[in-house]
Amino acid sequence: MRRVAVTGIGVLSPIGNSAVEIFKNACAGKSGIGLLEAPFSHRLISPLAATVKFDAQAHFEPPKLRMLDRVSQFALIAAKHALIDSNVDLATIDRNRAGVFMGTGMGGSISNDDGYLSLYHDKSDRIKPFTILMGMHNAASAWISIEYGFLGPNITYSTACSSSSVAIGEAWLRVANSSLEIALTGGSEAPLSLGSLKAWEALNTLATIDQNEPSASCKPFAKNRSGMVLGEGAVMFVLEPLEVAIKRSANIYGEVIGYGNTTDATHITRPSVEGQANAMRAALKSASILASNIDAINAHGTGTLLNDAIETAAIKSVFGHQAYDVPISATKAIHGHLLGAAGALECALSLLAMQKNIALPTPHLQARDEVCDLDYVPNHVRQLIKVDTMLSNSFAFGGTNVSLVLRKFMH
Amino acid sequence: MKTTFERLGMMLVRDYKIPPDSLALDTPFENLGIDSLGMAELMFYIEDEFSVKLPNEQVELSTVGHVVRYIDQLVTSQLNNNIDETKVVNSSQTL
Repeated sequence: MRRVAVTGIGVLSPIGNSAVEIFKNACAGKSGIGLLEAPFSHRLISPLAATVKFDAQAHFEPPKLRMLDRVSQFALIAAKHALIDSNVDLATIDRNRAGVFMGTGMGGSISNDDGYLSLYHDKSDRIKPFTILMGMHNAASAWISIEYGFLGPNITYSTACSSSSVAIGEAWLRVANSSLEIALTGGSEAPLSLGSLKAWEALNTLATIDQNEPSASCKPFAKNRSGMVLGEGAVMFVLEPLEVAIKRSANIYGEVIGYGNTTDATHITRPSVEGQANAMRAALKSASILASNIDAINAHGTGTLLNDAIETAAIKSVFGHQAYDVPISATKAIHGHLLGAAGALECALSLLAMQKNIALPTPHLQARDEVCDLDYVPNHVRQLIKVDTMLSNSFAFGGTNVSLVLRKFMH
Repeated sequence: MKTTFERLGMMLVRDYKIPPDSLALDTPFENLGIDSLGMAELMFYIEDEFSVKLPNEQVELSTVGHVVRYIDQLVTSQLNNNIDETKVVNSSQTL
């Protein structure tokens, strides 16, 4: 297996649209969550969301934009930024050995919602001709391959909230085992339609509004946590063999060194300690390291009652008494839950944090919970002596648990 | 009253952000960034704008002029059909 480097990061997220910006805001605990300003906000019990600020018309020709759901718009822009950031010369790559690996939980849900509006609300028997093309889950990744002529595998993973971590892991495997020379990988999500917000609301998983400070409504691992806040955005990475990256003097953000993927096989929503712990163990095993080699964790940390308690127990199961010594960050407190793009955003934040030997804070953690009694780096960024290796967790409805092992690149 | 070309032009400027001065009868849609798939979508909105129903038959429409002529044909033939149907209804009522 070859070592694999991350050489490009492209981001559109509620906490910024560049690697520099998201890292700065994550360190400061500056939240991208707020009251959702949408025509349908009054129909939501808790009209909260973490939204992306961007002007689609500045990025796409109008006729093309008509074919792109917001999820594909995000993905295309993030992929473009990742490639520019990597400084890869596309003219020199073997496009037959270039792949795209995307995660999305809900695909083009806004386009599907629009279609239902025509059919069921407007009682029209005519539906926009592009509805299928915009709504299908693999549209975003397909557009990326079309844009850059990547002729290798183009695969979209939809495992709910772990989708993009699956994508990154699968891309890593293919570059590591030499079947690909370059991969664009990450995730994209644009779930803020009335239909999907109401559906999530019906599951009783969404946070209630913090009346004092709506931007602090998501409180992972806190006793007064009430749920997650849905977010949108995309994060894409360029993965390539470390050797190639060094040879072309690329900027190397870090390495992916391990990937664990397990399934609960117990319940469609309820997470299991064993399933989550097994994913972390599998990731450590694939990286050929021990739990004691992990310097920090980016938790799945959604802010729901169940997840945070189960994840805490799973970390204890894997790390034993060392669990109390490992800094654990839950950055969803500020960027919300990007569902199928969440793992990618947290992977980016982990790589950036390692470069500065920092443990990112878990904001809005004032009230300690006796069940969640580990070190979650509450409220303030922490400078450490070294953060060389991190675990990034992504767990999901459906029970697909993923842990990625990431390492700082050291010359 | 606006011509079919003017009404189609208004749609393209409003919905596709096409610069008005790039529109002429001999302009190929490919030059406007609208390929065959884009044409399928455009025809959907033409049905609304011109109150016509597109037949299922495949037609080759590559320029603005082709579409203008096609719309005119549809409007005329479907107007005649409607008149014929009205006549039938009227004649049946008199019996």
